[in-house]
Amino acid sequence: MLRLTRRLFLLACCGAPFTVALGAQELSARLDQANILHVLAPGLHFLKGKSLERLKDGATVAILGQLTLSLDANVTIATRAIARFALSYDIWEERFSVSRFAAAHQETAARGASHLSPEAAEAWCLDHLTVDTSVLPIGRQFWIRLELRIEDGREGNQIIGEPGINLTRLIEIFSRPARAQQQRWQLDAGPLHLADLRRSSS
Amino acid sequence: MISNRHRLLALAFFLFCCLRVSAGTPQQPANRISSSVNVNSRYIIEQVQVIGFPASKLSDSLRSKLQKLVGSAYDTEALDELAHSLRKDLHARNVTQHLARGSSPEMVRVVLEVERRSVALDLSVPKFLYHSKQGWSGQMLASTAVARNHSFIFGLVSDGDELTERFTGIQAAYENLHVGTDLLRFRFAFEDYHQQWNRATTDALSDPTVLNAALRTGAPELYRARRNFQPSLAYALTPSLVVTGGLSFERLQETLPYLQTEGANAFAAGLQYHKRFDDENGGGRTADASYSIRVASRALGSDYLYTRHHWTGGYNFTRGRHSLSDQVTAGYITGRAPLFERFVLGTSSLLRGWNRYEIDPLGGHRLLHNSVEYRYRMANVFYDTGSLWSHGKVPKLKHSLGIGIRHSIFSLAIAFPVRQGRVDPILMVGMNY
Repeated sequence: MLRLTRRLFLLACCGAPFTVALGAQELSARLDQANILHVLAPGLHFLKGKSLERLKDGATVAILGQLTLSLDANVTIATRAIARFALSYDIWEERFSVSRFAAAHQETAARGASHLSPEAAEAWCLDHLTVDTSVLPIGRQFWIRLELRIEDGREGNQIIGEPGINLTRLIEIFSRPARAQQQRWQLDAGPLHLADLRRSSS
Repeated sequence: MISNRHRLLALAFFLFCCLRVSAGTPQQPANRISSSVNVNSRYIIEQVQVIGFPASKLSDSLRSKLQKLVGSAYDTEALDELAHSLRKDLHARNVTQHLARGSSPEMVRVVLEVERRSVALDLSVPKFLYHSKQGWSGQMLASTAVARNHSFIFGLVSDGDELTERFTGIQAAYENLHVGTDLLRFRFAFEDYHQQWNRATTDALSDPTVLNAALRTGAPELYRARRNFQPSLAYALTPSLVVTGGLSFERLQETLPYLQTEGANAFAAGLQYHKRFDDENGGGRTADASYSIRVASRALGSDYLYTRHHWTGGYNFTRGRHSLSDQVTAGYITGRAPLFERFVLGTSSLLRGWNRYEIDPLGGHRLLHNSVEYRYRMANVFYDTGSLWSHGKVPKLKHSLGIGIRHSIFSLAIAFPVRQGRVDPILMVGMNY
């Protein structure tokens, strides 16, 4: 039996907040009826800090999201989905509004939701960042990686064109490290099996 | 006549300038997120407020842009462009946008917070001109603002366009933009120039006939250098009306063989009016008027004793791509005034197309001039008419016509004097003239 020494107690006390924080940002997944994978990260809050200040100052904040599936612990990517979300904050209603912009060849119309709380806006973004699992071999274990970053002006100019957003540019952006001042988040989950994932109707 | 070399030079310069302007124009945000995505785009802007910079010091163009946003829907693209213009025009470190609730639901207030540099250095070229008869003229200024309200300016100038002389030298000034109040400014200016005289001017002064005529109003003297110290105060009576007053201590060093120094020390005062009226349909009108007086007196130890009055008035009307403007200038001198105070026609703005030394190589004591200009997009045509004369002479009205291209601050114009005989056009190319 492990003896609780003073040193061990102090270590446990200091490490507890980090353990709780890491645990709170856990990434989980579910499948809908069309075998599309949705992710959930209830502990991940990206509407905070500088981006939240900008939203409350009336700006539109764009968030780039990438969801990748791999068969080898995120070494090589088996499939990926990339999306761009534009968020704004209603100064009178004190609620968030979000729109999703898909890649040019995927969808033309932007979809969105309004009158959302911060948590609901974050959840909406994650729920609309989906990836098709049909490319995964049946029975193989896989890993999920979720990456989010607040877009800066220079990136926006590169990826958004007349017909929509440029997917190649988006992949290039996610392939290089984020700038020092850029807010970014990354969560991993796995190994997982498709058969073990919770299924939902939508 | 204009030589091929001049034509090619002017064309190359103008194309260069146009390219520079195009390159300097910020890219239009065609690829940004549409403003309609922002949920606040359904609200109407009630007020746009600039903090961190005195509103009274904003340019008319910026004020007009601010005003245009009031009453329109909240538009992030338009506000981004406005913030960019503010940052550029005010040489600010940063401009931050804030949004606040308006006085009633559906209304919002926009606050633009200007973060100024503690020490700002600004280089500018207020004038650059090539004139096919008078050659090059140019002015370069370096200014620095210290502790928000103190400004130091240093400049180099070589100008063969404004006066009968070509003056080359340095300019320096100190400005306090807040003397107790934002409405009152203090300026201390220093100028030190060396002169070059046109042969027509020196010949005229050695011609007994011309000299005798000039002697009636006081014989002018050539000088080889002049130095000026000029303290002044400016007070904004209203945002459109500014009154100035000060002193000018100008020392003129005469040419050989005398080499003595004479003073042209004067009380200087002026009144400037500028008002812009924006139409609802996007057009606009501007009205300008100014009056200045310089009284050189023995009370200030002046050797030259004279009074110089100068009036200008202008009206500009713009609708869509059409613009029509009229400028009137008048001047009147009594007493014996030095050559730099005398009026000149045949410059890049007054009676364009005429050679000033043909009109009067010594300048005149009376001036009346009117210029009408019509502009469609970049192209413009103008008609100048004016007269320059001195006491005891009969004024003769002269006319000139011209065409040109104007893009931003850059201009190219060919002006023709209207007279019998040969046509001798004058080419002018440059900026801010």
